[in-house]
Amino acid sequence: MKRIAKANLAELLSAMAAEAKLYVPAESDGIVNFVSWQEGLAVELAALNVLVPPKKFFYPQTETVLKYEMGEDLQIEDFACKAGEKAILFAVRPCDVSSFAMMDKVYLEEPPDEAYRRRRENTTVIALGCTEPDEACFCQSFDIDAAKAPGADVLAVDTGEELALVAQTEKGEELISALNGLLSEATSGDENKVKDEQEKIADRYVTSVSLRGIKERLAGMFAADYWERLYKRCIGCGTCTFLCPTCHCFDLQEYAAGNCGERIRCWDACMFADFTQMAGGHNPRPSQKERVRQRFMHKLNYFPQQHGDYACVGCGRCVRKCPVNLDILEVIREAGGGTDGL
Amino acid sequence: MQQKVEGYPLKEYTTKICQIAKEALENREVTAIIGWRKKDFWWQSPVVFLEDPADVQQLVWDPFTIYSPVKFLLDWQESCAAKVGIFVKGCDSRGINRLLQDKRLERERVAVYGVPCGGKADAEKIRASFPSKEIKSVTLIGEELVLAVGEREERVKAEAYLLDKCLSCRHPNPVVYDKLVWEEVSPRQYADESRFARVQAVESLVTEERFAYWQRQFDRCIRCFACRNTCPACNCRVCIFDQAEPRWLGKANDPADTLNYHIIRAFHVAGRCFECGECERICPAGVPLQELNRKLIKGINDAYGDYEAGLDPTDVPPLGTYRGEDPAGFDES
Repeated sequence: MKRIAKANLAELLSAMAAEAKLYVPAESDGIVNFVSWQEGLAVELAALNVLVPPKKFFYPQTETVLKYEMGEDLQIEDFACKAGEKAILFAVRPCDVSSFAMMDKVYLEEPPDEAYRRRRENTTVIALGCTEPDEACFCQSFDIDAAKAPGADVLAVDTGEELALVAQTEKGEELISALNGLLSEATSGDENKVKDEQEKIADRYVTSVSLRGIKERLAGMFAADYWERLYKRCIGCGTCTFLCPTCHCFDLQEYAAGNCGERIRCWDACMFADFTQMAGGHNPRPSQKERVRQRFMHKLNYFPQQHGDYACVGCGRCVRKCPVNLDILEVIREAGGGTDGL
Repeated sequence: MQQKVEGYPLKEYTTKICQIAKEALENREVTAIIGWRKKDFWWQSPVVFLEDPADVQQLVWDPFTIYSPVKFLLDWQESCAAKVGIFVKGCDSRGINRLLQDKRLERERVAVYGVPCGGKADAEKIRASFPSKEIKSVTLIGEELVLAVGEREERVKAEAYLLDKCLSCRHPNPVVYDKLVWEEVSPRQYADESRFARVQAVESLVTEERFAYWQRQFDRCIRCFACRNTCPACNCRVCIFDQAEPRWLGKANDPADTLNYHIIRAFHVAGRCFECGECERICPAGVPLQELNRKLIKGINDAYGDYEAGLDPTDVPPLGTYRGEDPAGFDES
């Protein structure tokens, strides 16, 4: 374990930026997002969740897949093999770190998505442990330990005046040794302080849900009246899907002009009417009811059936940001999960 | 002028609303009621739809009954309920007029219960002063917000914790209704002064700064379309932004396309926006959309004389008509 005074954070960031492209949470016009770090930028360490989840670094909202040109021959330029600059994500919250493992199940299973794989490989993730969840945080219900982040390369723990840094992977070790000049060795006192901080959080949640049996119960609820009641206030915007760290559905679009063109991949949302619109005009999810059902079924039934895990990490973004307060907490509770703590 | 505020004791507002809803459902004046209910947290009062008089106890009136129920009328009218009863605040009521003027609502199929509104609370402002996790409830009593925080009760002056949009509200009383739920409140002092303040601040920037300002704002846009979806003035049966063939708006989150979206959205509601401010309030990315809407309102006022949309569905909207004396004539060149 290493440590550094928070007063020297700027030096640490500067040194990291020399190693790779560095992204940090920063506030602008009242909104905290991950942005590219530059000298003098104030890093926001207090905010729990940044607005747009860091999935965007591996699975960007918009990316070029290929470009083509029809001449004598068809020329195709592949962009996937160029993806993935060396990058460091600093201060990713443990719920978001957990979302990466979940996304890996989609994009790294055979056949892996090359662009995603390259970005994952070239990125070093530094997690920032949480000590004070807010009322919309319920990662604990998904067995995520918000004080730790086993999926991160480095875990940072805020101990007040200092940050403690623990390398958790080989990539993490490499980064820590590259920064060694700035770091001091942690003492056993520091280690105790970190342990204290990490233990505090378990009792600080005010919201939790029980997932026991939810997957099975939802399996029998496809035709339930429940969705009829639930969907009515959904306005069909993409807030929940775009801000969800585990939503991963995309659309492929052609931007063609003359004899050349570009194929892009962009985030899509199952809340949008055109998400399942067929070329002939048919839409298998004709109303918002089917779309809302799909979103929650996917997270709590289909995904766990296919991949073993729920497609939710309890980050609470949909709870905080849904304009009509239609969120996954409500569905877990009403579809038969426990209500303990709410 | 002394602010006249909602003057009932605690909980009586909710009781009144429940009573009206219960009677309307029991007497079969309406087949459904749209109002608000309480959810898990103190800051959540979502819209609720009720058809059974036994369920009216769910209804509430509290500092967070903010979300406009009006646009849901479009779905309800098409799908079922013969006649819907709807509770509307001042801002919401102008949405009713919006739909009427746009010929998207049959007036006789809605029973409008007008709720005079002293303003709604801003959860962010409250969180800045009180630990959100410990807040049990927030109630508005007269000019005070009463908060149950942990085991203690806190009383603060409400004005400092109201939504900015409510501080610049000119019509806190419903402008269209069949029944007024309680007596009217006085319009807020200084509402007019703050109405265009932010527009003027942006106008005062030099062109390059202004462009940079808007670039920064739109850069945060995640293209969720919540601003459009919540807006009663955005009531086209098929929105141009949803069309795939031809695709007017690229799906890539490209800065030019995002700018294109926001310009077209703002211009499409120009002269029709009734300043409810919901687009800006619910924008997850904090894009100051009301500045765009009010810039256009200010422009319309300057060019055609003062006009406020959503006050009278039979009026002649300045951008929906042409008069010889209009400042920009038809270009005959």
